[in-house]
Parts: sequence; structure tokens; C-alpha cells
Amino acid sequence: MIKAQQKPIAEIKALIAPYHRILILGCGTCVTISFAGGEKEVGLLASSLRIASAMEGQDKIFAEATVQRQCEWEFIDAVAEQIQQADAVLSLACGIGVQALAERYPDKVVLPGVNTTFLGMAVEHGVLVERCRACGDCILGLTGGVCPIARCAKNLLNGPCGGSQNGKCEVNPELDCAWQLIYDRLARLGQLDRLAALMPYKDWSKDYDGGPRKIVREDLRL
Amino acid sequence: MSNLSDRSTLPAEPLPPCQVACPAHTDVRGYIHAIARGDFEEAYRIAREPNPLPYICGKVCAHPCETECRRGDVDEPVAICALKRFATEQHDLSKGHAPGLTVAEPKEEKVAIVGSGPGGLTAAHDLARMGYKVTVFEAYPKVGGMMQYGIPLYRLPRETIDLETAPLKELGVEFVTNQRVTDVDALLADGYKAVFLAVGSHVGRKLRIPNADLPDVWLNTEFLRRVALGEKIDLRGRHVLVLGGGNVAIDVARTALRLGAAEVSMTCLESCTTQPAHPWEIKEAVEEGVQMFHDRTFKEIVAENGKVKGVRCVKVNFRGFLPSGAPDMDEFPETEHVLPADLVIFAIGQGPDLSFLPQDGSIAQTPRRTIQVNPVTLATTKPGVFAGGDAVTGVGFIIDAIAAGHRAARSIDAYLRGLDPASVQPPEPQKLNDLQQKTISHIRHLKREEMPMLDVDQRKFTFDEVYLGYTEAQAIRAAQRCLTCGAGARVEETKCIACLTCVRVCPYEVPLLARGTANVPVDQCQACGICATECPAKAISMKLYSDEDMIKQIRDAVRRAKYNGEPAIVGFACRYCAYAGEDANVVKASLPANVQTIDVLCTGKVDALYLLKAFEFGADGVFVAGCLEGECHNDKGNVHAAKRVAYVKGLLDELALGNARLEMFHMSPDQCANMAEVVSRLITKVKELGPSPVRRS
Repeated sequence: MIKAQQKPIAEIKALIAPYHRILILGCGTCVTISFAGGEKEVGLLASSLRIASAMEGQDKIFAEATVQRQCEWEFIDAVAEQIQQADAVLSLACGIGVQALAERYPDKVVLPGVNTTFLGMAVEHGVLVERCRACGDCILGLTGGVCPIARCAKNLLNGPCGGSQNGKCEVNPELDCAWQLIYDRLARLGQLDRLAALMPYKDWSKDYDGGPRKIVREDLRL
Repeated sequence: MSNLSDRSTLPAEPLPPCQVACPAHTDVRGYIHAIARGDFEEAYRIAREPNPLPYICGKVCAHPCETECRRGDVDEPVAICALKRFATEQHDLSKGHAPGLTVAEPKEEKVAIVGSGPGGLTAAHDLARMGYKVTVFEAYPKVGGMMQYGIPLYRLPRETIDLETAPLKELGVEFVTNQRVTDVDALLADGYKAVFLAVGSHVGRKLRIPNADLPDVWLNTEFLRRVALGEKIDLRGRHVLVLGGGNVAIDVARTALRLGAAEVSMTCLESCTTQPAHPWEIKEAVEEGVQMFHDRTFKEIVAENGKVKGVRCVKVNFRGFLPSGAPDMDEFPETEHVLPADLVIFAIGQGPDLSFLPQDGSIAQTPRRTIQVNPVTLATTKPGVFAGGDAVTGVGFIIDAIAAGHRAARSIDAYLRGLDPASVQPPEPQKLNDLQQKTISHIRHLKREEMPMLDVDQRKFTFDEVYLGYTEAQAIRAAQRCLTCGAGARVEETKCIACLTCVRVCPYEVPLLARGTANVPVDQCQACGICATECPAKAISMKLYSDEDMIKQIRDAVRRAKYNGEPAIVGFACRYCAYAGEDANVVKASLPANVQTIDVLCTGKVDALYLLKAFEFGADGVFVAGCLEGECHNDKGNVHAAKRVAYVKGLLDELALGNARLEMFHMSPDQCANMAEVVSRLITKVKELGPSPVRRS
């Protein structure tokens, strides 16, 4: 799932500074699960910003709402009235939600309250880690189910590099070396021979290098 | 219409076992929780709602609720009866005996109630509130039935009965005492449109054994009644033997002791483990010196020259009574012996006096010589005549008779309005399932509070009340043992996104995923509130409190804390520990007026939002007072609270408000008296930071 992290309050304060009536709009899916932008976080941020506003002698008005998914027109239209009443919408959704709002309400100022950070999962309660880079050309079938694109700091296809030390990454010693994980996993599966083959260079045009990507399912189009 | 009728629609959700076990389906959980959070008037209101005799029940109810209490699966049941007594003792009677209950417009119809025991009084209470003109006929000089003429004074002071009956008179119920009803048809002819027979079970029984009719062979009911009527019975120097092992037999034995008997013993068919009296009654009797002889059948009252010398007994292995009523047992050969006594009192059972029923059999009796009724409506075989309580069921508990009184009142009201009485009776409630072992293993053990009692040497010579009642601190500790069964977390399925937070944070391993959303099984949830507080989707709410209530309390607390220019401090204090061993009001009174506390049952319920809200509303400082680590009632509620405090401290720094304005205190019970001292250190820090720059509303 998409993981995000709330922006520092100082940054948010600066973003909303010009506006008086602000709708803090949460999203009920990915950012809720990553504890960044669900209904609970909307409440905490609204209270924090009210405190900030009062400390500065301002009388900003903060409204709160959370929709099921900000990346769908139908869900954001459910709060159309609150959006219209606001001078600016502070979205706690990922970048997709922010842009969906901006596209749907072209005359409305839409501001991001979170930094969309990565695609990942919770390995324990409160610890979120990156697992996928959405490169558009999955090679997990070749690497024992461990992604070297998302989890190797150098995105190496034929690792490990010389910086792999005792299973840790030289870029960040807290990180496991992805290629050590790949080796361990293939050893466990009895597929170490895979490592003897050189992995050809990857078609990065399927990643961001080909420009924004698009999937069209003609069979589904109405 | 009276809100008594609301009870006819019990909620469909399963109820706690205590509430189901109570024949009147009292919301036990509701009043225990109110006591635990210090709201004693609310506790009384809840306890009073289904029970017109809460003062009496608080003292002598047989409390079948405690037998079913699920805390008993963890350690010992919650002391429910003692807590009801506490709620009544705290109630300010100037607010009325039945706060919140209404009285309907007067109706024309007259209803006669025969007997003023708990069943009759309850029916009178309900019918009077429905607007009927109610007359209660009582054969004896005082009202109360077996409560007046059966229960000994040391268990139930008669002022308590007076206190419960006075409000009935204010409701317009007419009491005609010293009037034994001998003709039910005459009542109907006299304009009473319906009659409720609640004559109780006042006739003791003797075994037909030789010499059972000697003057020194007495009957339980007569003996207790003579004492209650004020007759001076002098048993000094007497050796009393009570035949029977039930609760009435115990009452007889303990009463005989108090009348000066030199020795009192009891003998019964049952063994020490199967004796029918409540274990605590047996224990108290033995403490007072009553001797018990179990496993015996009685063959003959041994007498010389008309003077009782004892009872000839044989040892048996009693297995119970056969359907015919005969005992199922074998006598052991060569075990015949005489238990010495010069006064024998039979206490082997009692039945109703039904000699007043019409001779034509129009009010039918059962083969057990009780009044025959439709069990749903309590209608007898004569139209307009209903019956309930001991006269129908045989000897039961007060609370059974109260339930019958309610049932009869509903039936009579329906009958008089031309409705089918069966259609107005509520369905039997559904009960929560048992606690699973996994949940039990996580529940903290808490010792049951002992009821303070008169010393045994002091009590056995007087009719002074034995039980003394809980202090406030004891009552709160006792109430905090309640598992608030079934009042826990509710998941709003449309908001739940199955993020698994509840599954991961629950200290009791209760939530699970089912059909794509979280599910918190109502029978297992311990209502710690941690999942509701941590849920990022705000999909979980708690039955007994809400964010809205808490935020309102916070706003009020901040307002009250703004006092005399001192820093306004708001604290969230865990009721389980922050006042443990102390009276919460004493601790609170030790705090200055600018410190206002909000009580919570475990700091696990203190949401980060509540802390921010206090600052948003203008508090200069905020604290959370929870238990020591490792001593949380809910395992880790205080750990979660401490983490939230740390998180909000970070936000306060980001806001340039200063994290020193917020503190978490971990209090051990022996520190709680020092709360004022701990808080004063926070006040000093807050003063250094100056008043909150949040503009105060």
C-alpha cells in the first residue's frame, strides 16, 4: 500500500498561512493505514492547527472531513459542499488524492499535508518499510521474491556490490543488503544456480523514464 | 405513559450474565460502572429503575447475579449485592425514591393486591405508576410480608422496610393492614377490577414423626414471626436444635442464639457440600457458634414426661428428592443416635396458606399445593385474578417475587385495557457467552473486597445489623473489579478498513478479522478502550463513553481550572490507581482549585486528541496519572498512554508551546496521596513557561 508521513507542522502552517477557512480532508484508505491521514490524524492535526492559529492571534477556521478514497471522483464529490465553502483544502491523502482534488475542483486551492513516501507494508505495528518501486517490469520471480530495485540502495540487478558488509548495506548500515537476502532466499529454495546467470539490463522505459504511465483496458472502457 | 413500559422491550443484544440471572434483569453492569467512575446518584438511578426495593435488596438479596458473574471465572465474583447497598446508602433521598420514573394520569380502575411482600409491593408500585387505584391487603399489622415477619432484624433492620414502603403511600397506594382476605370473589364484587394474590409462603411444615406435636417442638415460620411481632421469647439456658439446612433454618438458628440459647445446633439431610443454605450464611452461623450435623434423617423427637430431650437421627447418604417429594437416600445401619436438645424447631420448608381460596375450586391449585397460574401471564384460572411469588413457586428469593410483581402488573394492565396479557411480557434476554480461556489469562486478578461486619462476639448476642456496608474507597475498588461484560468496543463496519490496529494492540487478544472488517466479539471484549483510541479510522466506539462526552468534560475542566490567575491544569487520572487506597474526593480536595481532574478507567482510554484538546481549550498544563508500568489494569494501557504523551509532547514542541506543559505520572497506590505534590512540580514548570499563548476562549 501507499505509505505517507505527515509534514512537519511548521511546513503546513506556512502552506495554509494565506487562507482563512481551511478544510482538512483525510483519506480513509492507504494513509489511514499508515497513520498519516485518516480520520484520527485529521482530528489531531486540526486541533494542533487550531492551537497554532490561536497562539498567533489568528482566527482561522478549520473544518474536518474524511472520505473513503480521495483518488476517486465519486468519493470526493460526497464532500463537495465543504470543499466549496473552504478557501483551501489541506489534503492528508497521498499525492494522487491531492491531484484528484485539484483536477476535480480546478478553482480550489489544494495543499498537501503529507509526504507520500513509498509503497510498502508494516513489518510490525508502527514500523513501515518500502517494498516496491512500481518499476513497471517486475523481476521478483528471478530474485527469490526480494526486490533489488526497491530494497537495494543502488538498484543493482547483479549484486551484491562490494559494500555489502555482514549482510548490511554500506549506504545505511541499518538496512539489510537486498542481495544478501536474495542469496539467502535462493539458497533456501535450492536455486542458487540462478545467480550464475547474468541479469540483462532492465527496460527502464516501463519505469518513470518513459514519462507518466497509463494503463488502458479497452475491454473495460465504457 | 410511564417509562416502566420501556423495560418490555429489552435490547436484542446479548446481556451480561449478571443481568440475565437477575429475575428483574437489573442493569448491574450499568450501576457498577457508575460506582467505579464515582457517579453514585447515577448508580442508584440505574439500580432503582427495575427494582422498587433497592434498599432491601442491597441488604438481603440472594444475588443470583453473583453466581453468574464472569469475574468468578477469573478469581471471585464482583460483590454486586454489597455495591447495590452502597449505591442506596449514597443516594440522596431528597431527590426522591425513584428519580426519573414517571407516574401516568390517574385511571378509574381499582386493583386489589393480597399480601404486602416483595411481589405485592412491586405490583402495587407498578400499577400505581400506571395510574390505577391500588389497595394492598395485609393480614399482619405491618407491611412487608416475609421481609417483615421472616427475615431476622440482624439482616434487615425494619427501618429499611419502612423506607421502601413510604414512597408507595406517596404514590397513592392504600394499605389495609390486619386484614386477612378470606373471600376473593368479594373483592371482585366490591369493585376491584383485578386482583393479585401474593400471599407468600408463611406456613411451616413438620415431619410426621413421633412427638412432633409437643409444645417444645416449634415451626420456623411461627418462631420468626413471633420474634418479629415483638414477643419476648427467652431462650436463655435452652439447647435448641434446628431441623433443616436451608437459609431459613440458618435464620432460625442465629435468631435462637440471639434470644440467649445456651447451645444451638442444626441438622439436615444434606452433606456439608450440598447443604442448601448459601455458603456465606453457613459460615457466619458457624462463626457465631452454631453447630452443624450433616447427613442425618430424623426419626423421632425423644421426650420424657412431655419434655423434649433430643432428636433420634440416623446417618444417611442423601442424594436429593425424588419427584414424589420423598428423599432419595440410604440409611447407614447402626448409626442411630440422639442429638440432644430441649427445644426443636422444624425448618424443613414452608408453603402458602391457601385456605382463603374459593371453595368451588374456581382458583385452581397445583398438586404441590400452590396456586396454579399461566407462567407467562400469572393469570389464575379465575378471570381477573392473578397470582405470583412464593404462593405460586414455593419458597423463592425476594428478587424472584419482585420480578413476579412486575409481570403481574404488566398482565393486569393489559387485562384491564382489553389486551392479551401474554402479548405484553418481554422476551427472555439472550446471555453473553462464557469468557474464553485466552481472554481470562490476560485479565488481572483483583481481590474481592470483604464486607465489613460486626465482630462475632459483638453480634451474636444482639439483633444489630451484621453487615456494615462498604466505605467509598472499598466500593470503588469493588466496582472496579467488574469486567463490564458486553459494554466494550463496537466496530462500525462501514468505516473499518481492516488495518489490523485493533488486532495488534488489544491486550486481551480479542479482535479478529471477519468478512473483511475487524470484529470485536462482544462476549470477550474487556472494554479497555485501547483499540478505540488507537484506531486510525475512528471506526471503533465504546458503549459506555464517547469522544464527544470526553471533549465536553475537557472543555468544562479547563473552564473550572481557570482560577485566580493560577495556571489552569487539567489531569486525566486513572481510577484504578491514581486514587487507589484513598477516597478520590480526598485526593481531589487536596489539589488546588486550578487543577481539575477527569477520571478515566485506565489511561489506555486517554486519546492523544484529548491532550491536544485540553491545550486547544486553553489549559496551561496537562497531566496523565496512570499506574506504574507492569501494574496496569489492562496490561499495557498506561504504556500506550505514555507513548501518546511522548507523541503529543513532540507536537507541542513543533507548535512552540513547550513540551514541559505535559507530563505523564506513573503512580503507585502509596503515592496517590501525593498527587498534590507531583502536580505542584508540574505547576512550577508551567509557571516558568508562563501562561499558555493559546488565546483563551
